[in-house]
Amino acid sequence: MAEATIPIFMRGKDKIMSLSDAVKTFVKPGCCICPGGFSYTKKPFALAREVIRQNIGDLFVTMNGGASICEFWCGAGLVSKIDTTYIGLEGIQPVAYSVRRSIQDGTVDIEDYSNYGYGLRTVAGRYGWPFAPMMCELGTDLMEHDTFAKMGLRGKKADGSWIHPSIAPARAAVIEDPFDGWGLRPHAFEGGDNTSNQTNHLEKVRESTAYTGKKGVKVALVPPILPEVTIILAQRVGDKGTTRIEGIWGPDNEQAISAKYTIAQCEKVVSEDELRAMPTHNTISMQYIDAIVEVPYGGYPGQVPYYYDYDWDFWRAYTQVNRKEKSEVDKYLRQWVMEDEWTFLSTRPGDGYPTITGTKGIERLFELRADARFGYKPGLARPL
Amino acid sequence: MAIIRQTDPKKWTHVDDTEYEAYCKEKGIDPEKYTTMELLAIAAARQTYDFSFIFAGTGLPMIGCMMAQHTYSPNSLIIMEAGILDPKLLEVPISVSEARGGYMCSTLSNMADTFGTFAQRGFCTFGMLGGAECDKYGNLNSTTMGGYYSKSARDDGKTGPAVRFAGSGGANPIASYADVGLALMVQEKRRFPEVNEFITSPTGSRGPLGTNKDRFHYGLFRGGSTTIVSDLCIFRSSPETGELEMSEIYPGVDPQLVKDNVSWELKTAKDFKVFEAPMHEEIKLVRMVCDPHRIYLGRKTKREIAAHQ
Repeated sequence: MAEATIPIFMRGKDKIMSLSDAVKTFVKPGCCICPGGFSYTKKPFALAREVIRQNIGDLFVTMNGGASICEFWCGAGLVSKIDTTYIGLEGIQPVAYSVRRSIQDGTVDIEDYSNYGYGLRTVAGRYGWPFAPMMCELGTDLMEHDTFAKMGLRGKKADGSWIHPSIAPARAAVIEDPFDGWGLRPHAFEGGDNTSNQTNHLEKVRESTAYTGKKGVKVALVPPILPEVTIILAQRVGDKGTTRIEGIWGPDNEQAISAKYTIAQCEKVVSEDELRAMPTHNTISMQYIDAIVEVPYGGYPGQVPYYYDYDWDFWRAYTQVNRKEKSEVDKYLRQWVMEDEWTFLSTRPGDGYPTITGTKGIERLFELRADARFGYKPGLARPL
Repeated sequence: MAIIRQTDPKKWTHVDDTEYEAYCKEKGIDPEKYTTMELLAIAAARQTYDFSFIFAGTGLPMIGCMMAQHTYSPNSLIIMEAGILDPKLLEVPISVSEARGGYMCSTLSNMADTFGTFAQRGFCTFGMLGGAECDKYGNLNSTTMGGYYSKSARDDGKTGPAVRFAGSGGANPIASYADVGLALMVQEKRRFPEVNEFITSPTGSRGPLGTNKDRFHYGLFRGGSTTIVSDLCIFRSSPETGELEMSEIYPGVDPQLVKDNVSWELKTAKDFKVFEAPMHEEIKLVRMVCDPHRIYLGRKTKREIAAHQ
């Protein structure tokens, strides 16, 4: 086979790229991008900042696991559509302000699922399934609202192709369970089931005619997610793409495997042998990683379990910044990311906001290092 | 199943009184007088029972479930939706996914797995949540007010919703699968409408029980009753109708104030009683063990701020 025809996912060491090349190659204006991590944990912030530096806009962001990256992109005006479950910053800001404002002022359209609904979509995406069965969201307004349908983005064009490659023809479809609720727990074992849950209203549910007009146990089917590019942060990636995520996985493994391309930002590129000595700990097999970008501390200002903790002072200060005028937030973020990641990491930590310890730059990054016994930095001061 | 609870404070996690006094002095807080956030966490813990599985959402519910483990339900297990089962929480997590939340847990995986392996599979006794709006049947709205759609999908001339909230996150599946809903809310009339504009999470019966508006008609096979812990009282679903009723009131609160702060004709439960004021042992524990940095407990409600002015 000629060199030129080797598939991207089989390129071996050629997958190792610079941050700017990886983003330039795989992230295009208008593409469907899926950021990994969860709230403050293992978010690929270096890749997110590079997207701002390269000013790649009109993004369709699909994600589970909190809105911190989406907050930065919305603040920089780079987002047009969001397919997600939750746009809060959890304990730091109940609703990510730039995302909220973009939805309220009409610059961003949003489609809502629940965390389990979306999680099942990532499972369907991972396994290449046409759908996954979901038994939540039933009876709620999540099932009644479909932004992408109203926008005419679902279904096929006249020529038979999909209107949008990353938007399913329907948000969900409800059917009757062909097995009549047999598999549900607590199950009708003799003498009851051995589960914590006690309530079981299957008899009532079998009489239900909602959604389909027919009696039977209702199951909603949800389509897979099919992003064009997923970005993740893993602590270690082997030089051919074998990936090990330590600490909580969040949605990363499924979202990475569901995508057409995945870029893995990592703390360290290591030899494949180092990871293959204990392969059960590896979470994504090599062919699902298309680009490997080594950026130590690139998860800053977030937390990377066993490596470093989040910059609490930064986030406290940022939730004041993002409530300013839209143009000011945009300007702040574009200046904040600086011209490249190394300049950013050696300059921005501790810069321009009040900090408890007064450290800056690399010194501050070192200060945030985690205690390996805990995975975080015990006693990190977190004043309100 | 028999309900087991550890009601003997001597068997709870111990906090030294001298250390507690020093702590209160350092923080400038009254050792005996509890705040609203502390009351909510304590009241939430009292609703749990031992050997249960508590599925906790982000925010104050984390303090509530930590408190439950240190007091009434020492053998209960905490589930956090990002993938965590039974962590030993030494410091309060600010996110359901962060490393503080995963310390010494039994297993650590991902979100789809957590909801599948624990909720769908049958290990979700309590669903402890927060919400922006709660209606007469215990439905929470954490999605939107003033219309749902934005921009291109909107047809009323407005640019988007008046107020957009965070969205479901894990709240909907937690409410869908738990045997008992348990929501912590600050009570204001506008936050307790008769009917929610948007149902995100049905923690209770969803609509009148036995009608085609209840949760079972829509296919939810578990749950049906909820406990809403507000800063004025505790609401519970009526077993006959599913409607929220005033079940317990905090000491010193006028029942009329509770009624004035919901948007429907509020009924009083048959076994209505006055909530036993938080004990010294509970206040000590919630402060020193659950949230010593006061990340969540330091927050004040509008009612508290007004009372101090």
